[in-house]
Amino acid sequence: MEIKYTIQGLLIYAAMGAYLLAFVMSLLRHRKAGDILYLLGFIIAVLAFGYRWYDVRHTPLQNLFEVFLCLGMICYPASFFCRRILQVGGRCADMLIGAIVLFPAGFIFSAQPQQLPPALQSWLFVPHVAVYMLSYIFMAKATFQAISQLAGKSYDGDEKLLPPEQATYRMICAGFPLLTLGLVLGSWWGKLAWGDYWGWDPKELWSLASWLVYVGYFHFRYMFGKKHARINSAWAIAGIAAILITLLWANLSRLFSGLHSYAT
Amino acid sequence: MGIKESSKKKFRRVVMWSALTLIILLIFLSVYGAFLGAERTQRLVNTLPLTVYWLSFVLILIAGLVVFRRLVRVPSLLLIHAGCVLILAGAMWGSDAGHKLQEQLFGIDKIRTGRMVIYEGHTENHVLLEQGQTPKELPFSIHLKDFRLEYYKPGSILVYMPDDTTRRIPAETGSEHNLGGEVGKVKIVRTFERFRLNIEDDRREAIDAPDGELMPALEVIIEKPDGSQLKRYVFEPSQGYMYKDNFQMSYLRMISDYISELQIIENDKVVAEKNIEVNHPLHYGGYHFYQHRYDAEAGQYTVLEVTSDTGLNLVYGGYLMLCIGVFWQLWLRHIFTGIKLKKLRNTPPPINWGAKYSGFLLSQE
Repeated sequence: MEIKYTIQGLLIYAAMGAYLLAFVMSLLRHRKAGDILYLLGFIIAVLAFGYRWYDVRHTPLQNLFEVFLCLGMICYPASFFCRRILQVGGRCADMLIGAIVLFPAGFIFSAQPQQLPPALQSWLFVPHVAVYMLSYIFMAKATFQAISQLAGKSYDGDEKLLPPEQATYRMICAGFPLLTLGLVLGSWWGKLAWGDYWGWDPKELWSLASWLVYVGYFHFRYMFGKKHARINSAWAIAGIAAILITLLWANLSRLFSGLHSYAT
Repeated sequence: MGIKESSKKKFRRVVMWSALTLIILLIFLSVYGAFLGAERTQRLVNTLPLTVYWLSFVLILIAGLVVFRRLVRVPSLLLIHAGCVLILAGAMWGSDAGHKLQEQLFGIDKIRTGRMVIYEGHTENHVLLEQGQTPKELPFSIHLKDFRLEYYKPGSILVYMPDDTTRRIPAETGSEHNLGGEVGKVKIVRTFERFRLNIEDDRREAIDAPDGELMPALEVIIEKPDGSQLKRYVFEPSQGYMYKDNFQMSYLRMISDYISELQIIENDKVVAEKNIEVNHPLHYGGYHFYQHRYDAEAGQYTVLEVTSDTGLNLVYGGYLMLCIGVFWQLWLRHIFTGIKLKKLRNTPPPINWGAKYSGFLLSQE
């Protein structure tokens, strides 16, 4: 646990605070105040990300500190897009996701600026990481919907929004192409940097496992439709569990040492 | 007719369940492989039982394409499933077993993967294979004109403070950094690439010797809190630390690139030339050459990784089909349907198309 007494740290804590307050306000049914605070949190998160970019002089997606900072920033636009375009609710949960993903950046990972090692100096670096980040946010939203389905919730109080089971499916439909693109771009990049498009590295295997869980979800749902809605939701939750291991455990544990160890 | 239909249905169910079982098995295999580590997993996936598994996967994908008409009729689904077949086929064709099979069937004797060690100014065509195997020769040679390392500028100084914390300061010549009460100020005066200390008549002078050994260093002036000044030299950690009073400093330089200047020589003629670096390999004669390692002590040789490109186009073709298929199926199809729906809603339809399309869209949800 590390508290950052820097401008960078203060921006992160301010964004976290705004997201948490927005969450509390929304729970207390002060919807407008919640919306304003959520937008404020997003603006501060953009400032934090921009400040980091200026500080390190390259797109800040190199280590877990920067990855979580980025996740904290893209929560709001992803949430806005899901509500307006995909008719998927969970605004309150999105606010909480924003605060949760900023927590590791604020308290766990070091903010020490690093220069890019030769392997990361590739045009594939930004698209590979960025599409993964976006897909993770969609899959996290899918998980909240899946949990709502398991908890027996039906609608988000808004008639226009989809019920949880369908919302889970729609979110996975939104995130899966990005997850696929991230995997393929990573494989292509691996070929250019390390000589093989598939090295059976622990992180590669965990990312394959997460991709396959969603492949399994699609096939299971195709076979049974909404007949076993709870099992559909269980697939979605298993998917996010595999993603969390890919993002955290595979990078941090000595059990999974490999080519991606620089990602810490 | 009825019996035929029901047996078809049964067969479809078998194919679907088999596909789901193979997917679940691969999930467990991936997780198990992550615990095993890359090398052992690589060996495991090339064993006979796993080869049977990969072949079953390809067969079930093809069976799916045959029995589910929708997979052929819907172009996006066809792209996804055919793309997966191509990826698996390309990977198997390019594997160790695939190379051996090509040697037996077509007499193609290609090296799958190996390493080449080349000294500056030398030409080499021997590829070192895995332990115990005799080196093989390439049908052409590679000449290493030069190998060089590039560093980020400026480097930095890592200061180990008296309170056991560390501080990193940029090693920019002329810059001055205040490190606080106990340490004082540090001013960076000069940078050396090949540091050497000349001693003549009890006088010591630090010089940058162009013909000397590589020894990066910095000359710094430490202004202590009491106003006294000390001149000191800071070296890279591998070459020893500068130690003074109650704190330590070391000079850090971060490598920004490794570059090997290569020429391909065939029949005593230079047929290709490229400076290879990480992310920029050389492709020639069915092989990719990668910057793998280098002589860390004297920078006189480079180690290249050589890999065969067999099956690579199939895999890349599969990747492209898979990506197009997935985006088409899950994103574009719905976007286009939405646009169509909007257009139809804007013009008064003779029948209720809107409801029909909404029903179609929601049928998946």
